[in-house]
Amino acid sequence: MKKRLVGAVAMSTALALTIAACGGDGGDPDDSGGTATAEFDAATGQVFNASDEQGGTLRYAITEDWDSVDPGDTYYGLSWNLLRLYGRTLTMFNPVPGQGSAEVIPDLAESLGEPSDDGRTWTYVLREGLVYEDGTPITSQDVKYAVMRSIHKEVLVNGPTYFGDALALEEGFESPYENPDTDTAAIETPDDRTIVFHLKEPFGGFDFFAQLPQTAPVPQDKDTGIRYRDHVVASGPYMFEEYNEDANFTLVRNPNWDPATDPNRPALPDRIEVTLNVNQDDLDNQILSGDLDVDLAGNGIAAAARTRVINDPALLAQADNPAAPRLWYTSINPHVAPLDNIECRKAILFAADRTSYLTAYGGQYGGDIPTHLLPPQIPGSQEFDLYPAGPDNTGDLEAAQAALDACGQPEGFATKMAFRSDRPAEQQTAEALQQSLGRVGIELELVGYPTGDYFSTYAGDPEFRDSESLGLMTNGWQSDWADGFGFFSQIVDSRTIRPGSSNLSVYLDEVDQLLDQAVAQTDLDAQQAIWAQIDQRVMEEAVILPGVFSKALTVRPQNGTNIFVNEAYGQYDYMMMGVDQG
Amino acid sequence: MAGPGPRPGRPSRPDIVVTYLGRRLIGAVLMLLVVSMVTFAIFFVVPLVAGGSSENLAARYVGRTAGSEEVADTAERLGFNDPLPVQYGRWLKGIVAGDEYDLGPSVERCPAPCFGYSFINRSPVWPELLDRLPVTLSLVVGAATIWLLAGVSIGVLSALRRGSVFDRAAMGVALGGVSLPIFFTGLLSLVIFSYGLGWTAPGSSFTPLLENPAQWAYNLILPWVTLAFLFAAIYARLTRAGMLETMSEDYIRTARAKGLPERRVVMKHGLRGALTPIVTIFGLDVSLLMGGAVLTESTFSLPGLGKYAIDAITTNDLPKVMGVTMLTAFFVVFANLIVDIVYGVVDPRVRLG
Amino acid sequence: MAIGSEPRTTGKLAVPIGTDPVDPSRAPGTRIEGRSLRQVAWRRLRRDRGAMAGAVVVILLILMAVFAPLIVDLLGHPPNEFHQDTIDPATQLPEFRFPFGGFSAEYLMGVEPPFGRDIFSRIIYGSRISLLIAFLATMLSVVLGSTMGVIAGYFGGWVDTVISRAMDVFLAFPILVFAIALAGVVPDRAFGLSGDTLRIVLLIFIIGFFNWGYIARIIRGQTLSLREREFVDAARSLGARGPYIIFKEIVPNLIAPIVIYSTLLIPTNIIFEAALSFLGVGIRPPTATWGGMLSEAVRYYTLPHFVFWPGLAIFITVLSFNLFGDGLRDALDPKTR
Repeated sequence: MKKRLVGAVAMSTALALTIAACGGDGGDPDDSGGTATAEFDAATGQVFNASDEQGGTLRYAITEDWDSVDPGDTYYGLSWNLLRLYGRTLTMFNPVPGQGSAEVIPDLAESLGEPSDDGRTWTYVLREGLVYEDGTPITSQDVKYAVMRSIHKEVLVNGPTYFGDALALEEGFESPYENPDTDTAAIETPDDRTIVFHLKEPFGGFDFFAQLPQTAPVPQDKDTGIRYRDHVVASGPYMFEEYNEDANFTLVRNPNWDPATDPNRPALPDRIEVTLNVNQDDLDNQILSGDLDVDLAGNGIAAAARTRVINDPALLAQADNPAAPRLWYTSINPHVAPLDNIECRKAILFAADRTSYLTAYGGQYGGDIPTHLLPPQIPGSQEFDLYPAGPDNTGDLEAAQAALDACGQPEGFATKMAFRSDRPAEQQTAEALQQSLGRVGIELELVGYPTGDYFSTYAGDPEFRDSESLGLMTNGWQSDWADGFGFFSQIVDSRTIRPGSSNLSVYLDEVDQLLDQAVAQTDLDAQQAIWAQIDQRVMEEAVILPGVFSKALTVRPQNGTNIFVNEAYGQYDYMMMGVDQG
Repeated sequence: MAGPGPRPGRPSRPDIVVTYLGRRLIGAVLMLLVVSMVTFAIFFVVPLVAGGSSENLAARYVGRTAGSEEVADTAERLGFNDPLPVQYGRWLKGIVAGDEYDLGPSVERCPAPCFGYSFINRSPVWPELLDRLPVTLSLVVGAATIWLLAGVSIGVLSALRRGSVFDRAAMGVALGGVSLPIFFTGLLSLVIFSYGLGWTAPGSSFTPLLENPAQWAYNLILPWVTLAFLFAAIYARLTRAGMLETMSEDYIRTARAKGLPERRVVMKHGLRGALTPIVTIFGLDVSLLMGGAVLTESTFSLPGLGKYAIDAITTNDLPKVMGVTMLTAFFVVFANLIVDIVYGVVDPRVRLG
Repeated sequence: MAIGSEPRTTGKLAVPIGTDPVDPSRAPGTRIEGRSLRQVAWRRLRRDRGAMAGAVVVILLILMAVFAPLIVDLLGHPPNEFHQDTIDPATQLPEFRFPFGGFSAEYLMGVEPPFGRDIFSRIIYGSRISLLIAFLATMLSVVLGSTMGVIAGYFGGWVDTVISRAMDVFLAFPILVFAIALAGVVPDRAFGLSGDTLRIVLLIFIIGFFNWGYIARIIRGQTLSLREREFVDAARSLGARGPYIIFKEIVPNLIAPIVIYSTLLIPTNIIFEAALSFLGVGIRPPTATWGGMLSEAVRYYTLPHFVFWPGLAIFITVLSFNLFGDGLRDALDPKTR
């Protein structure tokens, strides 16, 4: 049966592991598990300082501004994590510690999607009594409108493209921005509470789509295109009190939010303040001194603070080391000579010093060294190692030399390596590879490009990277959700390759077909076996050098309550956290 | 070095002030035009010369998930394919009359003065510049007050006690001061006074003056002192040199010969002459810093115009960088005007009628 | 009264030269002149201990830059080489942190986090970039500025007006923002160059080009006054033509101010280059530059040694040039002492 395929997987793993999961649906954290003892990783896999006490102010800060607070226009994990405070989507990830968070549960909808027509049609019924911050009712038409507007990528450029790709939209479908009275048969709203999605192809994982921020309802008469972010109309327990672009914003309680319609959100603090553009070191120091609560980016503290925390057992006891379903890696372009020869690509995989790659991302606390692609927390991940890098993971130079000989380049060769110049870790990755590959005569010329244009104009443009002979390119991917499709679909499917695509090097028909098989596969084990097969096949082709399965060293807020790492985001769960009033 | 001096044989007339101001004003506007043309050329011509295309620019507006057709459409709609003079004209018109950015279905208004429309966060640049201005203004006004008072008085004292222990010590420190880059002294003072001793606020602290004056000053004291240290060193050296030079002028000798008390000679005549070049430089320095104390702001992570420019450059958001550059040029030209007027007040050799 | 077109100094050069060519109130005779003055100046300079110390350090620095590979071969490690054995894998910092991270006979100034590169070697190699760019950029400014200044000052009229206006425009530029922007928009491969070569050429061009206005202004003033001097009049009345007068009569008398301003411009340019590298638009890593090392050090501010060494290197270099330049100016133009 195709029904709720991937969700079911996640649920079963969650049950199997039973990691001190506390308060299944989130409401009452006191009933089981949890800890109040400050120790390292105390908020990973369990709730730290569980509480249902309301009140207080949570203070967040971040070093930059992210794409948007508009639920239809954002593609950052931190943003998806945060926006659950003011926006509600059809479904959501279960806000619990441990792997239980991979489970999808209903949010706006009464229950998970009801599939029919072999998984091509998905029906959701909204809960009763849902209203916006201004008291007007939330209807299924609003959800439909939100999805339709998000498809228009020239206005809302940032969000994922899943809906536009999967929905059975008519040829020549016009978005609401092209035609305010537009309509499509791909989404039906037979009444104010029912919404029906029609897909092009059968897809078992539609509940994952339904949790995307793009299903958060948007009232059409309040939509102002990209300026909607100036005043997002809240459907969750908090609403915007003020929003100063590029500076700060404040969320306060939404008086019209009814907890009876929302079993998942404890809504503990009274206020949430977010400050943007704070220097990373200052941010870390303020968290350590208790002047700030959370680094919204969730990437962990930077070098200077890390030293302090690691060397001070008291501080280390306040820290967690959560893993995110994220892989940092280097794409190896098979269209550039001599990397068009698989042996030369293998030489790179053998010669690379994996330890210094990890060093670039923070060493021991920055993650683990992978030997393949699929992160371990994603169901189906299987460990294997085609290119053993020696006992201390610094590379196998003999194997690399043998591969170079087989490639006909015994003296090594020269190629270019692209990286995002405003990302220190990627710059260091490039420097590290330059050093380690240099040991076998592979000379790298490093070229940096700005992050904003990296995929659209430079490394991500197939024509550009081939004509500029970019041999190696730093890259990274965080699964949109903990599932093989969420991880692989954007980075190994050669049909996605065009300017802007994250797939920089995997051109394999075989893998494309495997992906299609996996999506259509009804049997769970068989589907997971295909993910492992894809992983294996891509590694065999030696077009990706896996670098780091990412972890972050984060510091818990000093007077925060109900703190735990939501593994769906690899960050503290911003929706569940409260403030100790004691 | 020279202050504007009257050419002999040209009598000054009262209406000359008006003519003079008018000429300077026209000159200033022309200068702004030229600066804007060069700025425009750098941002829109250099990337093209170096191998970019109008699609590259458009790609920044539409984001990475857009297809190449959308990008080409956007490039056309935004006029990136028009001849450069046309684009420049449109940009200029935007400053005076506002502009509209046709992003396909939605047309974004950019009201006058439209200093461009950001690629990245897709909003007009001007309001953001206005948001950042108070930070830079606070930084520069505070620091300028300190450095002007400290620099000039140290310079005068040094000159009057030339060769004394004070003079040597002060000039030694000043020489060290001008030899230390601000991003080093800033970093060092942050490490010592903020992170080490905890006396001052950490970086990236800013509170608007009107919100809490005490907090405002507390947060800015370290950047003020650091920035002022550098400039005070420069000004002390300049003032000392200027004083020594002026004190050897004929009119000072005359003043002394008239039997004026030395104190009066120094304060009224010597200082005035020495201050003339200081005023020019002060105007230029302050106006250049107003357009972004880039290094100070990035060392202390202050969200001012300079930090804004740097952040915009790292994200390649050219309209923002252009906005800051133009604003700075405006400040400089404006400061030049003011300085010319102030000359009449401080330089005994200049009398505007 | 013609107030509009008068020359002015600007804030970049720390101390103005003490001659005011168009100021009629100045007594004649204080001017830099002839060979005898040169000898007097040399004697003065030799007595100035600060200036001589500066000169010695400058020479040592130049030798250090020239023989960098040799020095590093003897006392250090290749500047980009990793020494991860010196780094604690958990904290990513050098194993010993006191007194200076990883400091030992092996690593004279300690090692850099997180890869353990030898700071000593990087400081030595950094001097090459710093001095090369500062010298060549200064040369570019001086050549451009002197040429423009002489042309404007000698020919006067509309030529002068055009050049003077151009100078005004350059002085009105927010140079740093501009340089950053320009260094930022030029891609990694342009004008047939790439890598470090491109960045070095670019920085020399940017720094040199935006600074010519200062020199030009001073030279123009000097030329204006020289043009009216008796010996020039004499040459003219003997039938000498423009080029002859410029090269034989005027330019030799401009050597002193040019030398002074070049010496004082070099330290400014060293700081300028360091600033650009500090802001991430200068020479690209991993090539060692002092400014680049400082900007790396920002992230590890708990390691004072990492901030200290590149900062000290910049300070010593700039201070030496300033000491020498000040001494030179005082020697050639004693009035401001």
